[in-house]
Amino acid sequence: MTQWSGYLGLILQGALITIELTLMGSVLALIMAFLAGLGRLSRFFVFRALATAYIEFFRGTSIFVQLFWAYFVLPFIGISLTPLQAGVLALGLNVGAYAAEVVRGAIQSIGREQYEACTALNLGRWQGMRHVILPQALLVMLPTFGNNAIELLKATAVVSLISLTDLTFQAQVVRSQTGNTLVPFTTILIIYFVLALVISWGVRSLERRMARGLDGVRV
Amino acid sequence: MSAPIIKIDAISKSFGTFKVLDGLSMQVMPREKLALIGPSGSGKTTILRILMTLERIDSGHIQIDGEQLYHMERNGQLLAADERHLAKMRQKIGMVFQLFNLFPHKSVIDNVTLAPILTKGMPRAAAEKGAMELLDMVGMADKAKSMPAQLSGGQKQRVAIARALALQPRIMLFDEVTSALDPELVEEVLNVLWRLCSETDMTMLLVTHEMGFAHDFADRVLFFDRGKIVEEGKPDEIFRNPKQERTQGFLKKIIAAGHRV
Repeated sequence: MTQWSGYLGLILQGALITIELTLMGSVLALIMAFLAGLGRLSRFFVFRALATAYIEFFRGTSIFVQLFWAYFVLPFIGISLTPLQAGVLALGLNVGAYAAEVVRGAIQSIGREQYEACTALNLGRWQGMRHVILPQALLVMLPTFGNNAIELLKATAVVSLISLTDLTFQAQVVRSQTGNTLVPFTTILIIYFVLALVISWGVRSLERRMARGLDGVRV
Repeated sequence: MSAPIIKIDAISKSFGTFKVLDGLSMQVMPREKLALIGPSGSGKTTILRILMTLERIDSGHIQIDGEQLYHMERNGQLLAADERHLAKMRQKIGMVFQLFNLFPHKSVIDNVTLAPILTKGMPRAAAEKGAMELLDMVGMADKAKSMPAQLSGGQKQRVAIARALALQPRIMLFDEVTSALDPELVEEVLNVLWRLCSETDMTMLLVTHEMGFAHDFADRVLFFDRGKIVEEGKPDEIFRNPKQERTQGFLKKIIAAGHRV
């Protein structure tokens, strides 16, 4: 009789790593999304070029290769990362590139009349962005950010390939030790699904809270 | 005799191949109340937008209060104005839009206090006190905590007026501020304009299709057509006794459309 409780503990430890990776990756992705999204809209060519290069590069190459690059190639130029650091870096930069386009699109969806009101009230570019445009754009971004976060959660499975002990890695361990394939993989399937549900539920309630008082305006 | 507060000198403006303003010159004296009338596309709204720096001019010069709007004097030369210069010039001017342009995510009072706090560094308490006085003047003090989505069009426009006044501009621009309103809401906004007109010494430029109000409100009426001032004069001269054929034609159409003169 297999000792499932011990193996379940192993899988739950993996779940913690997956959650940690998702949270840290999301934070990095969010930072990159705003930097690159605002960069795309900058008046200055250099910022626009940098942002575009970043977005196109990270959207256009495989997350696998990005991860391997961060973990196996960076050491050659003297940067050795732990598997967790490499995972956060690759996931954050990859998903951040997609989310940057969300930031840009949401900002551009805010009507010209809001920008004109800012000018008429003599707000500086950044003041208008910070207090008028971004708070409204954030509401437009949120649902898609939710999608991006779920994508990131699912993409965390690739870090098992650099032997980070996440959900998928632990499931492999359990499988090789027990010879049972059905139980470990069904378990992590369910855990991934529950985690994704938590994200979409969280984003939806955030959306509702932010949209309060805005009825009929947007969203 | 005092100097004009607005001096427009031979400005032109095109959108693509369409010439909206064609070598236009005009002057406005301090405290003067001006009504700008004319068919749509005649350039009257564009003038307000240019004065608010929402559109740039292709050529010509504009002086506000003796200072160049779109140019800066450096070592005796006129250079194109930078953002800093424009920001300084904008302090003298406020604008109210046809579609209100309130910030939908901010309450009424926050709409009014945002700019004074950010651009003048006013402490929040002082800004709110000033905002409440202005909201009281436009009859919106009891809605200070409401969100814009909860207001009627007329109420939104009165808040927008209070918001523009909060920066204490010397010149106020009103761009068809009643055109988007249901007929029964027009009156409440015109009443506010009327109070501003009689109780303050701001210079006011009003683009409007409310000919009756323009007649009572304005010291001077300018009739625009195809980017030029076709005729100008005292309200009585323009409305009762227009000299130009195009003015006569326009007023006839407006009256036929049910507008009171």
